[in-house]
Amino acid sequence: MESNIIKTKGFKTNLYAIFLTVPMNKENVTFNSMIPAVLRRGTEKYQDQLEINKKLEDMYGASFNCGVDKMGDYQVLKFYMEVLSNKYLPEKQNAVEFLIDLVFNPLVENDGFKKEYVDQEKENVKKLIEARKDNKVRYASDRCIEEMFEGEAYGIYKYGKIEDLEKIDEKNLYKRYQELLKEARIDCFSCGEEVEKIELPINNNKENQINNELEEHTIKNKEIKEKMDISQGKLIIGLNTPKSPKTVISVYNTILGGGANSKLFQNVREKESLAYSAGSTYIRRKNVIFIKTGIDTSNYDKALEVIKKQLEEMKNGNITDDEFDSAKQLIVSSLKLISESQEDLITYYFDQKLYEENLTLDQYIANIEKVTKEDVIGISKDITLDTIYFLQGEEKANA
Amino acid sequence: METVRNNKIDETVYTDTLENGMKIIVIPKKNTSKKYIIWATKFGSIDNNFIEPKTGEEIKVPDGVAHYLEHKMFENENGVDSLYKMMALGLDANAYTTNDHTAYLFAGTDNFYEGLDELMSYVQHPYFTDQNVEKERGIIGQEIGRYDDEPAWKLYVNTMDCLYKNNAVKLDIAGTVESISKITKEVLYSCYNTFYHPSNMIMCISGDFEPEKIIEEIKKRLLPREKMEEIKRIYPEEPKGINMKEKEANMGNSMPAFMIGYKDELDEDKVKVDLASQIIFNSLLGKASKLFQDLYTEGLLISQLDMSYEFSRTYAHALIGGESKEPRRIYEKILEVLKNEEVSQEDFERSKKKIYGSLVSEYNDVEDIGRMYLSDAIKGINSIEYIDKIEEIDLDYVNEILRKLYKENESVISIVK
Repeated sequence: MESNIIKTKGFKTNLYAIFLTVPMNKENVTFNSMIPAVLRRGTEKYQDQLEINKKLEDMYGASFNCGVDKMGDYQVLKFYMEVLSNKYLPEKQNAVEFLIDLVFNPLVENDGFKKEYVDQEKENVKKLIEARKDNKVRYASDRCIEEMFEGEAYGIYKYGKIEDLEKIDEKNLYKRYQELLKEARIDCFSCGEEVEKIELPINNNKENQINNELEEHTIKNKEIKEKMDISQGKLIIGLNTPKSPKTVISVYNTILGGGANSKLFQNVREKESLAYSAGSTYIRRKNVIFIKTGIDTSNYDKALEVIKKQLEEMKNGNITDDEFDSAKQLIVSSLKLISESQEDLITYYFDQKLYEENLTLDQYIANIEKVTKEDVIGISKDITLDTIYFLQGEEKANA
Repeated sequence: METVRNNKIDETVYTDTLENGMKIIVIPKKNTSKKYIIWATKFGSIDNNFIEPKTGEEIKVPDGVAHYLEHKMFENENGVDSLYKMMALGLDANAYTTNDHTAYLFAGTDNFYEGLDELMSYVQHPYFTDQNVEKERGIIGQEIGRYDDEPAWKLYVNTMDCLYKNNAVKLDIAGTVESISKITKEVLYSCYNTFYHPSNMIMCISGDFEPEKIIEEIKKRLLPREKMEEIKRIYPEEPKGINMKEKEANMGNSMPAFMIGYKDELDEDKVKVDLASQIIFNSLLGKASKLFQDLYTEGLLISQLDMSYEFSRTYAHALIGGESKEPRRIYEKILEVLKNEEVSQEDFERSKKKIYGSLVSEYNDVEDIGRMYLSDAIKGINSIEYIDKIEEIDLDYVNEILRKLYKENESVISIVK
């Protein structure tokens, strides 16, 4: 386990975080995603949410947050406590102690979690999984990931599967929790002006290092269309990228779809008026770029043609100096903004530690600055189409 | 220049009203490299009927015009798109339209003054042609389509429709595909000339600045404009009471979403009503309330309720929203609690602490600061007031608001399934 301190100035708050990281796998994914949900229900000392929440409000509105994330091939359970820094508090608050309690001292009855909490949270996780379809853009992105990484760790939905919930009870979940504490890599962060270091009450194996070799990805070459009752179709396209150099691919992605000056925005939206939003995201830890846009269902072929044309332009080296410079500028300025958010700082350093790169923000920025246009053109031939996913509405005439 | 300091949170706010009538608010922030500026005109979707100060003529414009105008402001005669230019400077530039204002903004760590040049140039140089106005119609049509698919948006618009009979707050900010088909460059120029006058505009800046210096920089970049009379806005007469009790829509949600609304027709200091409402909601319906715990335990709620009090020039209302498989049961339970309970001394003290904490946390990020000061300033409020007012508020006042606004007032509900 590693306990890190990130010093910041100018914030009114301190942010503390504990992350438990395990490899993503089908057997445990749903169990793991249930754990934060149950832990936040009660500790040995504060046995229900009413007591927990009263305590948090009494701490001048401290906030406790927890959740599940997918990072590359890992599932990460995240726990955060944010509290006003001492300067703005009439009396000091024991935020770290409370956070540790919430993660490591849950309410236990007969060698299990409290049955009532587990039953209720099973229902909640079920609703959460069912509600995936409500946010159409996110749903379409998730579906594209599932199709592109079918049968692979990254294709697993971070909250797991409804079918698994039936197998879960207060005893086996508690057992899984105990295993998790032994297996997981644990990272702690304290971010603020005057912060306490987080000392864990358990002995976590220091050697729980993570194997950073990614699972091999099988190229899918899929084109999938699904229907839903929506007025605007959501087109998501997955591209495979080389493993490295990530800084170069990052610049490639930004030229392609990183903002208002990107090829996708300029062509799909500005020139062709096909969409309101058009852009792309680079998932560095999975060597993949996702293109996302929302279009009229009847414009599918046209949009696809315009998008493919942009990929061709990149390959042919048709990148203007303006496009190249502004893409780099955009990346550098978004990196500089990381220091302006405690949560972003923690996320950045956690990712750096997990993948053993250990670059400071300044070093990372310097590496981006070094990228040349030739580098970008050089890798663009190795970026290939993998999966096209279209969530479509009923065809309708343009009003 | 007016200076307001709050020692408790260690912040000072500087406000200056220039000769041309423009208001500038500076909230300096040391130890940050990020800078934020937001420039807004008090022109939103509700301002669709007004008297043009120059000609004295009454003008009615198509719904969605403020938003359409916002899109077109980035256009320049030399063909360069200002949004493109600012992004190329590494600035996070954007614009948005609400029902009572339109704002242009950017944030960034470097190139602030280059960005300021561009921002102040494009906002003061409209360039509309038949062709560039036409081009935007498709894009905005897609944007309207995107909102149509968002249950949260539908839920809100329907709540407004329940609360108000005539108030334009119930209309879609972007208008409809039909209404925007009537927007021409003449309409845009007429609105621009009326509403984009300095006397109708407010600017907020937050970051590591010397207030006097940055105000000088802004003055240098302002173009001279003729003095203008106050704009007369014509708002439809809004009858007392609600428009309709409820509205339901079907959008294929796995979990129905609901929003309960209360129209506020009280003649009170809105900041105090806002804070009192926050205390009432937090105490009786918040995460640490018995009601929330019961509903959560029964599985009727899976996350906390969204509770807010909103107000502007022509409206004020409180909203309570959430998701539940049984929205009507939740509605009954919430009404029961608001009707029968009072805020206790203990809940009152705890809620005040919590609200103090969330007010102070707003000062972490220059972007949050700028946005908060701007949206409050549009309503004529200096945000820093909230910190003192939360200290001053007393329990009797809170329970009086509870009685007038939530016990004796009629509620509405919007449900999206």
